Amino acid sequence: MNRALLRISLACLAMFVLLLLNMNYVQAFETSKLAAEPGNIRVFDEQFTYQRGSIVATGDGNDVTIAESRLIKGTDTYQRYYPEGPVYAPVTGFDTIYSQTGIEQTENKLLNGTDPRLAIHNLTSLLTGKQKQGATVELTISPAAQQAAYSALVNDGGHAAAVVAMNPSTGAILAMASYPSYDPNVLTTFDGTQLNDAYNNLVHDPAQPLLNRAVTPNFPPGSSFKIVTSSAAFSQGLVANTNTTVPAPEPLQLPNGNLLNNDGDETCADGNPPIIEAFYLSCNTAFAGLGIRLTAPVLRDYANKFGMNQTFDIPFPVEPGLFPEDQGWTDPSLTAFSAIGQFDDEVSPLQEAMLASAIENGGTLMKPYLVQQVLGPGLSLIESASPSAFSHPVTPQVAGYVKAMMYEVTHNPSGTAYETAGPPATSIPIYGKTGTAENGLTPAESPDDAVFSCFVPAGPGVSSPIAVGVIVQGGGFGADAAAPIAVQVIQAYLKAHS
Amino acid sequence: MLVFAIAVVLLAYAAVGLGLRGKLPGLPADLVVFAALMGAAHVAIRRFAPHADPLLLPLAALLNGLGIVMIYRLQQSGRNGNPGLQVTDLPSSATTTQLLYTGVGVAALVVVLVLVREARLLQRYTYTLGALGLVLLAIPAVLPTSHSTVNGAKVWIIFGGFSVEPGEFARLALAVFFAGYLVSKRDVLALAGRRVLGITFPRARDLAPVLSAWVATLLILIFETDIGTAALFFGMFIAMLYIATQRVSWLLIGVALFLFGTFLTANLFHHVMERFTVWLHPFAGSNPTGIAYQPVQALEGLAFGGLFGTGLGHGQPYYTPLVQSDFIFSAFGEELGLVGVMALLLVFGLLVQRGLRAALGVNDPFAKLLIGGLSFVLALQVFVIVGGISGLIPLTGVTTPFLSQGGSSLVASWILIGLLVRVSDTARGPAPQPIQDEGMTQVVRAG
Repeated sequence: MNRALLRISLACLAMFVLLLLNMNYVQAFETSKLAAEPGNIRVFDEQFTYQRGSIVATGDGNDVTIAESRLIKGTDTYQRYYPEGPVYAPVTGFDTIYSQTGIEQTENKLLNGTDPRLAIHNLTSLLTGKQKQGATVELTISPAAQQAAYSALVNDGGHAAAVVAMNPSTGAILAMASYPSYDPNVLTTFDGTQLNDAYNNLVHDPAQPLLNRAVTPNFPPGSSFKIVTSSAAFSQGLVANTNTTVPAPEPLQLPNGNLLNNDGDETCADGNPPIIEAFYLSCNTAFAGLGIRLTAPVLRDYANKFGMNQTFDIPFPVEPGLFPEDQGWTDPSLTAFSAIGQFDDEVSPLQEAMLASAIENGGTLMKPYLVQQVLGPGLSLIESASPSAFSHPVTPQVAGYVKAMMYEVTHNPSGTAYETAGPPATSIPIYGKTGTAENGLTPAESPDDAVFSCFVPAGPGVSSPIAVGVIVQGGGFGADAAAPIAVQVIQAYLKAHS
Repeated sequence: MLVFAIAVVLLAYAAVGLGLRGKLPGLPADLVVFAALMGAAHVAIRRFAPHADPLLLPLAALLNGLGIVMIYRLQQSGRNGNPGLQVTDLPSSATTTQLLYTGVGVAALVVVLVLVREARLLQRYTYTLGALGLVLLAIPAVLPTSHSTVNGAKVWIIFGGFSVEPGEFARLALAVFFAGYLVSKRDVLALAGRRVLGITFPRARDLAPVLSAWVATLLILIFETDIGTAALFFGMFIAMLYIATQRVSWLLIGVALFLFGTFLTANLFHHVMERFTVWLHPFAGSNPTGIAYQPVQALEGLAFGGLFGTGLGHGQPYYTPLVQSDFIFSAFGEELGLVGVMALLLVFGLLVQRGLRAALGVNDPFAKLLIGGLSFVLALQVFVIVGGISGLIPLTGVTTPFLSQGGSSLVASWILIGLLVRVSDTARGPAPQPIQDEGMTQVVRAG
């Protein structure tokens, strides 16, 4: 019987070995998979029991906390808090007990400490008995520019509007404001019913506060698209330099027989002005004519190089501009409208900032980004941004031509933005292009959308350049409604960086 | 060793207090009683079985003590200002009750040691105990549901506030019956038979009593919808037949019958099929919130514990239904982590190994068979429940010996320890012949 008993012993041993192996599998190798199972109550509960990392705006050199987790008095529970609520909401997004948006979403694993790069730190805090903590996400946002942008939007009279500012030489986003905004603090409650109510209120609000207008291509670019059209015309050799004359009849007869007019049906200088004059006067017929000669595919090609029709992560995914291949898009009569930003192309303020950015930076468009660096709980560097070129839309020479033209817009007394962004308004050398875009509504329903795309190059009193895109829905003239907002943002930024 | 085991239990208790409330709990009367009980057991063993394996009691005491600590931890959850949710089906007196059953268990151990001075005495009651075992098993099946069913399992005898799970005791009784019967018939079973395909199959008339008891047992258990216990009996029968006859044919017949039975029950009974679905696809579709809720909670709890666990009192084992009984191992996994789980499994493994060692060492074939079978079924029970919880095999509800809340399981486990102590004492005691055997030297070393 002992021989059989020994075999039974082996069977027992085998059972225990199997159990040990399986326990190792479940508790050591499958943990992250099981933790990621939807509806894991323990992981769900855990998010409140330790401090989620902060989101900090560092664009002005000092740290301004824009999202943090605070210990609720008398409990072991942390709750998310956004000190400046609506101001930074388009950037931070929100963090509810169920889901996140914005930076809260894209950097979630770093903020909640589950990113593999934090594993070693988590192990050390486990061994030393310290509490688990999330990483701090440092953003490129300049609090001065952001505050100025949001205040300017709020004081603009209730128009839906948005601003993006970026550093043309790095791509770092300095401001991203959208109005109307929302207060993410209403979504941090632990009460599921309360959360649902608050969220539904925001979703069903006709003002669409949750919409991040700064990165949503919802607006026709209008005349600001002439930056793209003239870039293409110079690059393709249609126009030799800024003094080359271009035909600017009033009206322009289109191939299909329709007429295209300048604003207010005004004549453009003598009807055959140098391109620089057509640019600062913003003559439609001159650039519509160039568009017809360029053809739609070429125009679209340059739009693509400036970032339109491209989706990329900043780190949340954005598609800042659209130049769709809609039916009949290659029809020259429609291309004429595309060339002045009035057919079916649509842009966001980010796209406007990218247009100005590429011109300022000598024809190289830097990839826009928001996260400067991520610091582990021990202030160890987890990741750091490395600026990279997104595309090279034009040569430095062509960029120089467009730059010269944008200078005249604000500095020639006849320039469209001379009064609002030129010497009468500010001593800062702003280069810009206005846009006043018909938005498909009758003037009684809504005035035109106001667009302004501009930059300030580095120079005396300007330590680092800045490019700004502003769109005010139904604001009217770009020079009147959009340009002053850009000026306020630039002034605040340069003041903080002087 | 026993002092060490009690010290571990004390430390675990202190850890629960620290984990729950951040401060040391006062020394509770419960633990003093526990230490006294274990001391009494020690004295009884020294008195009635002086040559017994000295490791058995400390191992059992460690498991029982840790079980009490975990029940205390679960009982405190959400009560008395402690964090966490209440385990609603765990009364606030659970720790005291469990301690009371520990007392009953220790008393049963002493009774076994006093009455069963030699294991072979039990052999006289082979058929009595066999009949008793079957009756015990059958009682819940004939009782009305209100007096027999808890959580869908019709395996209880409930009267007043008092409930007994007779299956736990029936297993011991039937083990005695099988050992006794097989010892008297083992030569016939081993030798007589027809050879088919190179394997000798036993004669039908030798087989009849065993088979009928076997079938009766399984039928009763299937009727009572207690698949886990059925599997344990099945495994015990096969192991004992194999030990008695040393014939591989029994293993083959057993495995074939097992597979057939599994296939049959899975197709006959919806709830058995469901177990397989849950085992294979715990996270599919609505399973995690539906039929697989409990095993999914257990698995996620184990994963949440990870390598080192959350620490006693820091986890959320209360999310797993029945965490205090069948699923108590998942609570240990969550709060003590892989490290703690492996330690517990090693303690169980040691206990099984000491039992098998006693079976190997003893000369009396009846004792050898009884203890060999009971040790095997202890290992199998741990395998079935821990393997079920951790997704290794389909989950079937059996208690975790010594750890789970519940008196029947605990008292039966202590009776099992009593039998192990008795047989190890026989095995290691001075042999009638004046030969200095291995057992003797071990006693000296252990002393």
